[in-house]
Amino acid sequence: MNATGVAHAKALEAWRSTSPAPAQQLNLPVQDLLTRFHPDRQPGAMVTLQVGPSAGQQCPAALAALLQADSLLEDVDIAGVPYLDADVLIIGGGGAGCVAALTAARAGARVLLATKLRLGDSNTVMAEGGIQAAVGAEDSLQRHFEDTLRTGHFAADKALVSALVSEGPEAIRWLIQEGMSFDLDENSQQMGGTLRRKKAAGATAARLLSYRDFIGLELMRALREAVLLQSGITLLDRHPALELLSDERGRCSGAVLHDLARGRAVLARTGATVLATGGAGRLHFSGFPTSNHYGATADGLVLAYRLGAPLREMDSFQYHPTGTAWPVHMAGTLVSEAARSSGAFLVNGKGERFVDELQPRDVVASAILREMAEGRGVMRAGQVGVFLDTPTLEKSKPGILANHLITLQELAHRSGFDPTQEPFLVRPTLHYQNGGVVIDPQGRTPVPGLLCAGEITGGLHGRNRMMGNALLELVVFGRHAGAAAAIDMRIQRPHNVGLTHLAPWRRSLIDRGLPLNHKSPMIFPPYGNFDMATSRGKAA
Amino acid sequence: MIDCSTSSKEIHLSFDGHSIQATQGISLLEAWIKAGLPLTENVGCMGQGVCGACRVLVRRPGERLGGTALACETLVEDGMQVAFIDHFPAHRSHVYDLHALTNSWAAIDQIDNVFPEAKHCRHCSGCDRACPKGIEVERMVNLAAQGQAAAAGALFDRCVLCNLCVAACPEHIDPAHLGQFVRRMNASFTLRPSDLIMRLHEIEIGRQPIDFGTPGANPPLSASIAKENAP
Repeated sequence: MNATGVAHAKALEAWRSTSPAPAQQLNLPVQDLLTRFHPDRQPGAMVTLQVGPSAGQQCPAALAALLQADSLLEDVDIAGVPYLDADVLIIGGGGAGCVAALTAARAGARVLLATKLRLGDSNTVMAEGGIQAAVGAEDSLQRHFEDTLRTGHFAADKALVSALVSEGPEAIRWLIQEGMSFDLDENSQQMGGTLRRKKAAGATAARLLSYRDFIGLELMRALREAVLLQSGITLLDRHPALELLSDERGRCSGAVLHDLARGRAVLARTGATVLATGGAGRLHFSGFPTSNHYGATADGLVLAYRLGAPLREMDSFQYHPTGTAWPVHMAGTLVSEAARSSGAFLVNGKGERFVDELQPRDVVASAILREMAEGRGVMRAGQVGVFLDTPTLEKSKPGILANHLITLQELAHRSGFDPTQEPFLVRPTLHYQNGGVVIDPQGRTPVPGLLCAGEITGGLHGRNRMMGNALLELVVFGRHAGAAAAIDMRIQRPHNVGLTHLAPWRRSLIDRGLPLNHKSPMIFPPYGNFDMATSRGKAA
Repeated sequence: MIDCSTSSKEIHLSFDGHSIQATQGISLLEAWIKAGLPLTENVGCMGQGVCGACRVLVRRPGERLGGTALACETLVEDGMQVAFIDHFPAHRSHVYDLHALTNSWAAIDQIDNVFPEAKHCRHCSGCDRACPKGIEVERMVNLAAQGQAAAAGALFDRCVLCNLCVAACPEHIDPAHLGQFVRRMNASFTLRPSDLIMRLHEIEIGRQPIDFGTPGANPPLSASIAKENAP
């Protein structure tokens, strides 16, 4: 994108002279704004899938290249390799994977929990803003239901959204029982007090529950301890999945994992498999920076698709409005939405506000991209963005940065400025995969033996996720998928386990003239200087 | 992303035995990546500083001893010697079941039952020096050993579970896990929000139904079509 802007020093002058800048509504119809400026809608951003269960659907070109690639494995690669037998395999060690593992193990399953990095290294631990649950007296499950559908442009699956919101309060109780804390209202007591609630962008009621501005860390700490202490869970750190295993009837019967420490494959043979591998931010669509963790390379999506699981809304991604634009070594790092939900303004290079800051994320992100594209951004050391006006927020609510926006303040200090004196420079960053694998309310995919939970799934968020629904989703659907897996594992024990689905997959690639020398999943982003295909070639 | 505008002053450092060069202003983690070295572990959030995965030992020129840090939060300096600290096995000797702790009168005793080494703290402050977040780890250990669960837990608010204090402790106290134990105990024993409980009760007795057919649950267009088609 060609972005220009007002020089930083001049923009600071403009900001000082107008602060506090008066509110200004968007002067462009929302649909026009999205069409012209949302990254998903730009010409060439999307391509049409040619093979697989969702052929004909659109998705980003970089993702299509992985979805329509060949496996890293041949039958010979799994002959004679060591194996692990269990009831349920969970792939992914973030929030959804941990919740599913705990639920399945407590239902009596012997669980393998395989994760590419280390237990807890995920997008979950990085979540800052909050979790939605309709607990306010003036609020209701129905309002949460309608807000979620509207924010997602009515593209979501109502049955999934209904399950999500109805179990919101129960999910909060479950988290407290696992030892997670939540913010309470000022002067409120632990026993019988009230939860601190904020209004998320796009919501009609204050239902965003928080833990300071690092709720993901607090949630992941509790879940990680719970998993480490739970009997019946075998943890496999540094074990990315290379391929799902199938039997002759196409049932998923586990996965081929790669033990990075030993540089060799391991078969995990199980009656049910839950994919909880998260999203795709590290594919950096259209060159965007990302707020996602290092492992977000769509591995699970690729494996599920190859085994026949259909996808939905794969052409819809969420760009978080406020990623770090400057300094460049922090580019993409999230500047929490808690700042805007606490009342911080967005200000362009001319010292003007340009959008209601509490509009849904796709609208605010597009509005910022518009300012940048039309020359009203702020330019600093080659980076363009807009101001997030923390000094004015601090002036109107003294102490808010020190007491409630701790991560924000720390981020500023690491960037080398004082957020009470100088505004952040922010720009949209690739944040979340709105669509994903089709599931039913129990977390089952149409492929027998294969379940999904968390960001990898589609249908919950329509075409735009509401803030705070991702953490809720991973608890509600992590529990559903874990419980369903503990049932499904009894339907069919693994037998005749192999890679039988790969032969028809390769035929379909050849049929469409697609190359067989492109391999996936990606496992690590290219700048990680580790290519699994090369590494395995060397090992052979 | 490479920023051409930062000063091009070359910095030389040693990282896991590799002599590498870096430009000023980048983090140790970026320096590792830009040197073309493979990154398959010791990484997670890549700069947010919340996952505790990128632990390193760092020694600067002139220093006798190395210190611990997170590679995503520490900027490169000329002459640094750096080594990743491999992640710790998940082996746990301090085992408890939060759900089995049903008697809150016995909760404080559990701290000593599960973490008996906590009372043996020799005040060496190794944990304090190891913590990349500046947490008063030793004070937390001492408060927990005295049964002051809430005060101890509050000190561990910013813990990122990097486990460096676990590695630093000569008494095998496992401060990181002790800190989480008291925090989890506090929440699960005492956090009882009234608004949450009232709403759970309403749901239980069926007073929070969800209606798929309301105008708010359907796009404006289909709502108007539905009206036209209505008998």
